Amino acid sequence: MYLRNNRVGIFDLSSNESSEQELGDETSWDRLSALYVVDKLASEHGTDSLVLGTGVLTSSFVPAACAGIVRGSPGKNGDPRVMPLLGFAGVELKLTGFDFIVLKGASESPGYVWIRDGIMEFVESEGMKSKDSWARTDKIRADQGDNKIQVLSNGPWGDSVNPASQLVTDYWGGEDKSGLGSDLGRKNLLAIAFRGMGELELSEPDGHLQDSMVLMAEHIQRLGKNEGLASYSKALEREDFKKLLHRNIACYGCPFPCRSFLKTSEPANEMKLVANEPGYLHYDIPALEKAFALGFDAMDATMALMKCARAGAEPVSVLSYAAELSARVNVSSVAEILSDPSNVSQGRAVGNFELSFDDRAQYRSCLGLGLCPRYWSKVGYDEDAVTPYGEAALGLSSHSK
Amino acid sequence: MASSIILHVDDKANYFGLVLKTKSEGLLMARPEGVSSGQQASGSSGPGAKPILLREACDLCGGEVRCVKICPARCITVVD
Repeated sequence: MYLRNNRVGIFDLSSNESSEQELGDETSWDRLSALYVVDKLASEHGTDSLVLGTGVLTSSFVPAACAGIVRGSPGKNGDPRVMPLLGFAGVELKLTGFDFIVLKGASESPGYVWIRDGIMEFVESEGMKSKDSWARTDKIRADQGDNKIQVLSNGPWGDSVNPASQLVTDYWGGEDKSGLGSDLGRKNLLAIAFRGMGELELSEPDGHLQDSMVLMAEHIQRLGKNEGLASYSKALEREDFKKLLHRNIACYGCPFPCRSFLKTSEPANEMKLVANEPGYLHYDIPALEKAFALGFDAMDATMALMKCARAGAEPVSVLSYAAELSARVNVSSVAEILSDPSNVSQGRAVGNFELSFDDRAQYRSCLGLGLCPRYWSKVGYDEDAVTPYGEAALGLSSHSK
Repeated sequence: MASSIILHVDDKANYFGLVLKTKSEGLLMARPEGVSSGQQASGSSGPGAKPILLREACDLCGGEVRCVKICPARCITVVD
């Protein structure tokens, strides 16, 4: 099996026991979809299970093949709640040695799941419960001795099983618009940490490299000048946003970055390592658009989103609630709401990356393969056109291009 | 593909660099402050951290440097 580990890790939080099962040798693209597999695993192990997974193309050289997913319990409409895992998290997850992870049951004690080198363990950490999401990530990285560990962190809002909670990926928010922090809260999970240092085999490495280079070159020519997150939203084409912009960074394998880091506590052009927490990485378009619509400037919008991420709260929900309370919303009023999760009783977000496509089926197809929906909606996604670029890697059919 | 080049990042500070494992100088670390070489910290944040210590040193792919070709940011070049 190429580009996959053929391993599913199952961890029962109730009994603190782990087990494994084989992924199976599916060859049809529909059944290779990570979204198909997580549904199948959830029906096998319990729909209240939290299932993390990676696409068949995740970590390949296909442009923006960075995505993983997290599937939570079904929402009110019965559909499973799913968030994409972007940045380097999807790739790191695959390189742990597992293609999918199932977390079932609930732990008696608070702590985090730690996954690496083909093993999983639960680390009890009562003291971490009082910390915000940033401090949890810092602590896990310090305790495990590696600051490249990817941390899906909950905050006080998720701990309290608030539907407006937000799982935070390595300090930043914008992927979880489904309130999956509440799923971790129900399981007494404070965070999920993983580090990928494994290797994956490709069927035809040079063929795959050549194919991907051709595709990436075509995309770069077509995409034109990159403006970071502002390339994806006209509402962000603002002078105050540009003034705080440190630099735009990309997820794994992406030639068109959409992550804009704004510095709030030191000059934006400072490139040396000076302040420990100099700003915030933006990729949550709806949250920024909401903040700007309420009259925030770029500095205050950044501060507000940073506070939401620390608390593990979904910012569109928080800002919407704040606007209902008062016509004048500011960073202080947001902070006051964040101090008590019981203030907000419902999630109001409708998506972030989910809004990349008008067609829900296109979104699911793209994400299910392990491709970033935002990037691929920009370059034009067509499953039939994309999948041949993975064939040389996966050894699914004769390499004919 | 020896994977002898990795990112060096401190994501909370948005600080970045590249680490290259070379045959002649060991680990080379390129950061905004400049390039450093020789013995590097192997702790949590140092470039000597796994997994690059386990990889082979860069052999420039025998002349056709693949990391340069596939780098999505076009930030890697080969100079004499």
